[in-house]
Amino acid sequence: MSNEILENLKKAILEYESEKAANLAREALEKKIDPAKALNVMTEAVRQVGDGFGRGELWLPDLVGAADAMQSAMPIIQKEIERKGMKVETLGVVVVGTVFGDIHSIGKTMVCTLLAAEGFTVYDLGVNVTAEKFIEAVKKYKADILAMSALMTMTAPEQRKVIAILKKENLRDKVKVMVGGGSLTEEFAKNIGADGYDPTAPGGAKLARRLLNK
Amino acid sequence: MAMKGFTRKFKPLEIITEEQVEAIHRGILDVLQTTGVRFESKRALKLFEKNDCQVDYDNMRVKFPPGLVEECLRRCPSSFRVKAREPKNDLIIGGNTVYFVASPGMQTVDLDTWEPRPATKKEYYDTVKIMDALPNLHLFCCYTPYFGFEGIPEVMKIPEGLAAKIRNSNKFTWSCFSNDCEIFNIKMVKAVGTETIILAMMASPPLTYYNSAIECAFRTLEADLPIGVDTGTVFGATGPATIAGSLVTYTAELVAGIVLIQLIKPGTRTFIAGFPHPQNMRSGSPAFGDIGISLFDVAFNQICRKYEIPCRNTASAYSSSKKMDFQCGYERGIPAILSAVSGAQFIHVHGGMYGELAHHPIQDILDDDVAGMIGRFIEGVEVSDETLAIDLIEKVGPIPGFYLNKEHTRKWWRKEQFVPEVADRLTYPEWINSGKKTAFDYAKKRMEEILATHKVDPPLTNSQEEDIERILKEAREYYRKKGLITDEEWETYKKVLR
Repeated sequence: MSNEILENLKKAILEYESEKAANLAREALEKKIDPAKALNVMTEAVRQVGDGFGRGELWLPDLVGAADAMQSAMPIIQKEIERKGMKVETLGVVVVGTVFGDIHSIGKTMVCTLLAAEGFTVYDLGVNVTAEKFIEAVKKYKADILAMSALMTMTAPEQRKVIAILKKENLRDKVKVMVGGGSLTEEFAKNIGADGYDPTAPGGAKLARRLLNK
Repeated sequence: MAMKGFTRKFKPLEIITEEQVEAIHRGILDVLQTTGVRFESKRALKLFEKNDCQVDYDNMRVKFPPGLVEECLRRCPSSFRVKAREPKNDLIIGGNTVYFVASPGMQTVDLDTWEPRPATKKEYYDTVKIMDALPNLHLFCCYTPYFGFEGIPEVMKIPEGLAAKIRNSNKFTWSCFSNDCEIFNIKMVKAVGTETIILAMMASPPLTYYNSAIECAFRTLEADLPIGVDTGTVFGATGPATIAGSLVTYTAELVAGIVLIQLIKPGTRTFIAGFPHPQNMRSGSPAFGDIGISLFDVAFNQICRKYEIPCRNTASAYSSSKKMDFQCGYERGIPAILSAVSGAQFIHVHGGMYGELAHHPIQDILDDDVAGMIGRFIEGVEVSDETLAIDLIEKVGPIPGFYLNKEHTRKWWRKEQFVPEVADRLTYPEWINSGKKTAFDYAKKRMEEILATHKVDPPLTNSQEEDIERILKEAREYYRKKGLITDEEWETYKKVLR
């Protein structure tokens, strides 16, 4: 029975069915299934979609569809894991968002999905995220990595501002900062004091591994 | 006198039926009435409420009565003049006149590696000068040629760019907004006695206007300047994946912007623009060079004709290619001609490379031939007693009759043919003996010639130059005070200014 629920949860993500995935996550907890096991099958599903995307067999709507389904089930499972005080196996905690003044979400969502597929725990703060919200999330989730996206040249300097606040709050040594987005360059990333930059979403996920030596 | 541009002398191409245009129009009115548009400005919301729109202040959502929408569309002039520094460069926008506009690029391209890199100040000014010299490039877009140049802070990129265009060209230029920079743009154009069209009402799809765009619109209209309403739907991301569906949301965004403008100041000279693209479902970027953009643009032009509002097309602005190669040529040429024959008044052609990420003056020169060729095509075929040449045909008769030595030929051939500036049209022997040169080689040579010989005529007067410098100084102080130019940026910037 529990295996069947977990199989269906995985299938719901592979078929991009958000509502079904959330319902199955709830059902799993009602049936006392280990939330860590549920988390594993969800990560496995997203990894499969991420691999398919990497091989060129699946496309962006597939990646985003799987990400949405995972996102709808994830908070339910995560809440239970926190309630039980369980330790989850993870490559690291990544806080992700598009900076204040910028509402471009596609690249950021791709990075989130591929990070989750790699085995990171991802907190997606969305778009138009203020520096204060980034800092708050870094503290709250004890982030190993802060990943910021900015598509426009006008909003890219916002990343510099967040890094400055991290320094001011003595958090800079505790978290790696990676940046990305259409208008960014390696030089700009170095200039603002980021730890890493990659121009592509799959490269971003690999960069996160390198930053944490995983 | 005004900039002639090109005149389309035949019926425009249509891709959808009149009934389909009506169906899209009904969809637009319905979306505006039932779904509504988010306007993040209390000032705008109040104005909408006063004009019988349904306003939800908590969600900043406005629902528009169809009657008001149609009334505001009627308030837009179908044709209007905008003033350049020299009357010969004024534009008369509307109807069947086509103007070719430059395409902006964030950086320049290194010709050895084809990789993008920031342009220097000299490259920025030189490129403007080259663009000033090109006969088929009629006006500048706001970010052209580059978004800025090396060493200037982000907030000064638009004002410094506008100053460069005013200094090194007297062609008309659009401008745009970011961090209040329109305040300084307006001052600069007024100081040199010209106008600018500010692409102020820039929507953020789907169905949203941020406060900065709305405030810029208020400022533009207070300055009595013409205005551009703009949006940028990506089909399958910020609009429906279908072309018809995205035509509805895209145009609804533009129409909502028009309603605000025409409520603030009825009769305002308005044109509508946009940046539609299918989504590249692999990279997440817009699919530059995709034929879907032309399918969209041609149908959009039909809707704009129904509304009698001038519009702009961008399908030919960018190729996905990173080089000036075969792909770049077809992804530029095919959409450009489709836009020209289907009734767009502004068409982006010159200089842009891969997305909005690069621009190069050699590409400008190559594209000037594309624009000239298309311009010649839309001017059509002149049929008159003189061009039919019946008397001449009778006079010349069969072989050994010959036309090359006739006055009629001397008079007409240059009008009938388009002679490209840099295309390779040599015979094989000529081509082999002259070093097997390509259009690219000729364009490079032409660039060097223009830089060595072209003069902006007339240049700015000393007092105009002083005004521009004073306004830039004011902008620098404004942003320094606001903390938008850091000490580090200021030090680098000062070196560039020297």
